[in-house]
Amino acid sequence: MVSTIGFREWTAMMMGAIAQVKSAHPFLSELDCACGDGDHGTTMLRAATRLEKCLAQNQSENMQSLLTDIAWALLGLDGGATGPLLGSFFLGVSEAVGLRNALDAQSLAQVFEAGLAALQKQSKAQEGDKTVFDALVPAVKAMRQAADRGLPPLDTLRAGAVAAQEGAARTKDFVARIGRAKYLGEKTLGIQDPGATSVSLLFKGFNEGLEKMVQIDQEGQH
Amino acid sequence: MAMKKFINGAEDIVHELLEGYALAYPQKVRLAHDYLVARAVPKALGKVGIVTLGGSGHEPGLSGFVGAGMLDVSVPGEIFAAPGAPRCVQALKLADRGAGVLFVVLNHAGDVLAANLTLEMARKQGLNVKEILTHEDISSGPREKPWERRGLVGFLPVYKVAGAAAEEGRSLGEVFAVADRLERNMRTLAVAVKTATHPSTGQAIFTLGDAEMEIGMGQHGEAGTGRMNLKTADETAEIMLSALLANLEVKEGEDLLVILNGAGATTLMELFIVFRRVSQILKTRKIRLARSLVGEFITTQEQAGFQMFIARMDDELLRLWDAPCDTPYLVVR
Repeated sequence: MVSTIGFREWTAMMMGAIAQVKSAHPFLSELDCACGDGDHGTTMLRAATRLEKCLAQNQSENMQSLLTDIAWALLGLDGGATGPLLGSFFLGVSEAVGLRNALDAQSLAQVFEAGLAALQKQSKAQEGDKTVFDALVPAVKAMRQAADRGLPPLDTLRAGAVAAQEGAARTKDFVARIGRAKYLGEKTLGIQDPGATSVSLLFKGFNEGLEKMVQIDQEGQH
Repeated sequence: MAMKKFINGAEDIVHELLEGYALAYPQKVRLAHDYLVARAVPKALGKVGIVTLGGSGHEPGLSGFVGAGMLDVSVPGEIFAAPGAPRCVQALKLADRGAGVLFVVLNHAGDVLAANLTLEMARKQGLNVKEILTHEDISSGPREKPWERRGLVGFLPVYKVAGAAAEEGRSLGEVFAVADRLERNMRTLAVAVKTATHPSTGQAIFTLGDAEMEIGMGQHGEAGTGRMNLKTADETAEIMLSALLANLEVKEGEDLLVILNGAGATTLMELFIVFRRVSQILKTRKIRLARSLVGEFITTQEQAGFQMFIARMDDELLRLWDAPCDTPYLVVR
């Protein structure tokens, strides 16, 4: 049972996210072929490589330092909109974490809300525009609700992952209204948004990474 | 069909192309820091710097215009994808010669996101930067929503007049004003007849029937709105030029700069045939073809098609357009 999230848990969560991106990147490119230029999977794979390097290098045991490094690794991605969007999210999270070294479920929901707010400062996109927000907004909301119901961090993250996945799936019914896909208009109907899909993969990874850490810890105790 | 391109590893394309470019023009450009393209000989102190950012795979755009009289530093991103903000901040610092920097941003979602973060970071660090957004593609946004319009080949004359004004020693405010006046008076429309393949993924970036063309196609094969059967050069020139002249509300007796930009696989032969008709139409309408440029300035791999650009010019803009520059892909003496 994980009662708080700190440096070690974030590392596990990020490792889970990296694993998700690594296994799903061809699918992301395939989605992007239908409504972009087909390189989203490659971009996310480069992001995963940068994140791996960042986890390997940051042994500070300091949660804010780790999250700031993650943000800068993403901001420096040179991959179009993906870097600034995901980078701003993590920058917002790291600023909200501040000097704390452990977050309970409530605080975890709060730092995710701060990440979302930082991202919203950079983009005018709304829910329903077929973007990352369609996965991220419901995920953060679901985390808040789970935390308010008194669920522990792992269940809070799981609620976020489920909501992100549902949100990404809903983008099939939307017409792109922002970003490069906007110009395709109605042609984007029926295709799940690659950016929203990536966000859902990250959340799925956060949850699975943390579950895996818990599992390994338990096995170690037996 | 399998991709037929002379590359090595897909992940090495951007670095290798930039290295090759700098090696080909060592007297004009050099690579600085983390693959920034900078002037080989920096501009004199006290003059305004000009910086731009944009994805790779569009050569010679955008880094082809780094050099005396145009850009000081260009920040190339990955294939068709904007660079990140940290390298852009480095570029602004490198280009700052004590008089501030004009940051030219083409209106595409990723570029704008990176540029906004760059400006935030740059201002925190005390840099004096002014941004100009180019958005002149009439097909991607209605007249009342100019901020939705993409930036296409119009970046080129913006670099040119801003660069010339900077070389004259004008202030950042004045350099911006000149660039902004041109930006407000320019329009572009693109047409595509054949798709390109993404050089890293090998995938076609759009599909178009054998007998079709599409007016309003974007720089990355983003679909336009006017898909139709393939027309002759003259008919295509008429459709596109009429739309541009109407959109810019060009009147008799005004001076125009016209640029035809090949997308990569359209021959100069075709561009000249189109240009011939453009010139005839302008003559009939008593509009002055003051200056012109025909060639490849921003491409999208082997995409076939072209961009037609017009700008209303005044005496000062013409003088700055005529001022000397010495870059690998545009030289004025």
